[in-house]
Amino acid sequence: MTATSAVRRRPGVSVAGWLGSLAWPGKAAVIAVELAIAILLWQWLVTGAGVINAVFVPAPSSIADALGDIIRDGTLADNAAVSLRSWLTGFILAVIIGLPVGLLMGGSLPVNRIAGPIAWTVYATPSVAYQPLAKAWFGFGTGPVVFLVTISAVFPLLLNTAAGMQTTNRSHVSAARVYGASRFDLYRKVFLPSTIPFVFTGLRQAATLATIGMTVAELSGSSSGMGALIIRSSNMYRTDASYAAIVVIIAWSVATTLLIIAVERLTTPWTRVRR
Amino acid sequence: MTTITTAAPTGRLSEAWRWRLLLAATVAALIIIWQLLVTFGVVERVFLPPPGEVAGEFFGLVRTGEFWSAFLRSFRNLVVGVVIAVVFGVSIGLFVGWLPVLRITAAPFLWILYATPKVALAPVIILAFGLGDTSKVALVVLLAIFPILLNTMEGAAAVSGSLVDAGRVFGLKGIPFGVKIVLPATLPYSLAGVQRGAVLGFTGVVLGEFLGGAGGLGHMLEYAAFQFDMARAIALVIVMVVIANLTLRLINFLRRRLAPWYDDEVIGR
Repeated sequence: MTATSAVRRRPGVSVAGWLGSLAWPGKAAVIAVELAIAILLWQWLVTGAGVINAVFVPAPSSIADALGDIIRDGTLADNAAVSLRSWLTGFILAVIIGLPVGLLMGGSLPVNRIAGPIAWTVYATPSVAYQPLAKAWFGFGTGPVVFLVTISAVFPLLLNTAAGMQTTNRSHVSAARVYGASRFDLYRKVFLPSTIPFVFTGLRQAATLATIGMTVAELSGSSSGMGALIIRSSNMYRTDASYAAIVVIIAWSVATTLLIIAVERLTTPWTRVRR
Repeated sequence: MTTITTAAPTGRLSEAWRWRLLLAATVAALIIIWQLLVTFGVVERVFLPPPGEVAGEFFGLVRTGEFWSAFLRSFRNLVVGVVIAVVFGVSIGLFVGWLPVLRITAAPFLWILYATPKVALAPVIILAFGLGDTSKVALVVLLAIFPILLNTMEGAAAVSGSLVDAGRVFGLKGIPFGVKIVLPATLPYSLAGVQRGAVLGFTGVVLGEFLGGAGGLGHMLEYAAFQFDMARAIALVIVMVVIANLTLRLINFLRRRLAPWYDDEVIGR
């Protein structure tokens, strides 16, 4: 649709028409080729042309070397294990708190009118602002990291769940009532199926924000974890190791998002139609 | 439920005020619980000072020049960074969104960059740009630009065909076409991006000041918490909550003034 209208607009541009006509394997190939060119160009700009200072932006090859180093000497495994534990603990806490509160908010108007504005106010503030308090309250271990992961992840989950409950089709609710559905049946058969897609949206946003919260907390005053690894390396001007750790965090962020999408597709096939 | 929807317009207004009063009462109740927790020693005073002490600190703080110079410094860095991010984000977004070739080739990259947790680059940015204001501005630009760019891109790609045809009929081409047709139609999307960008930029400023502290509100907060001056730290967090919420409201207001023809629901997802 977009491709045809684009061609109609500018009949001269045939590259766009060709690209638009490609099926997804073709598009993926184009992107893979671009990515390869970008990495080669980056490598050349740093090592060949010397336009970029290698301390601030190391070449892809040295980042790969540094990644190999931190894998071999166990630094990566140690720090990643600490981060993973904090992330999972914080995320699970956020689900345990966010899901029931979100359901409650979505199901009851008074709760929503009271808890909603408070939740939005806290959510509008970047969680980095709460970090020094967390550090003073929970010490210098993984406590503040877990706190920041939880507070970053809980609100998107809570607010999306509440929104999902509220957008449940009223006529479906009425229909269920007419057929004598109990309160439990109503939740199980009407609210749950229509809220689940929102819960997954919330989980996806929560996972991204949780990773950001974890990184922020570990950057500012942690002795272990991926963020601590980044800052320790860059303080010693070993930025190649910093970038290697950043690559791992990016991979982690992408993997959690993909995992949640995969779980969503497996468990809720009825939402697939809309995509 | 039905009583609310069928209520008369005047009844509805008082209904809204009733909710507001109830909300205020809840907040007041929470503050009283906070006070009681401290009074009865459930939580240590050192960790959580009573609300009166925090309020006193808050009002003392806003009367000091030290606070306002820190505030101005952080705010200036945030505004400069967001403005740079808007200029580059909107222009690149318009180009990529409007040209199908770029949309297919460059957009996936931009999405990948958008999705990566760029806060992780903060130490490297501080290493590269030093401890001064430049590193904070750079961090703000890095964090704020992608939501602005991608929202603008999505907006430019979704400009309606009839608007395009109307522009063509009036013989608009090139830059004037972009300024008169594409930019206004994209504006609400861009502003939604600016809203998210500003929040991320706020993170950038505060984190930058935590890591390479040379003044600013973030540094002040970090220092207060480090000194275990919890009343002051909590007062500063409240200041940040207020700033963040006011900024969001301001952008929301602008969005409604500059692009009243668009619904929030339409741009939301």
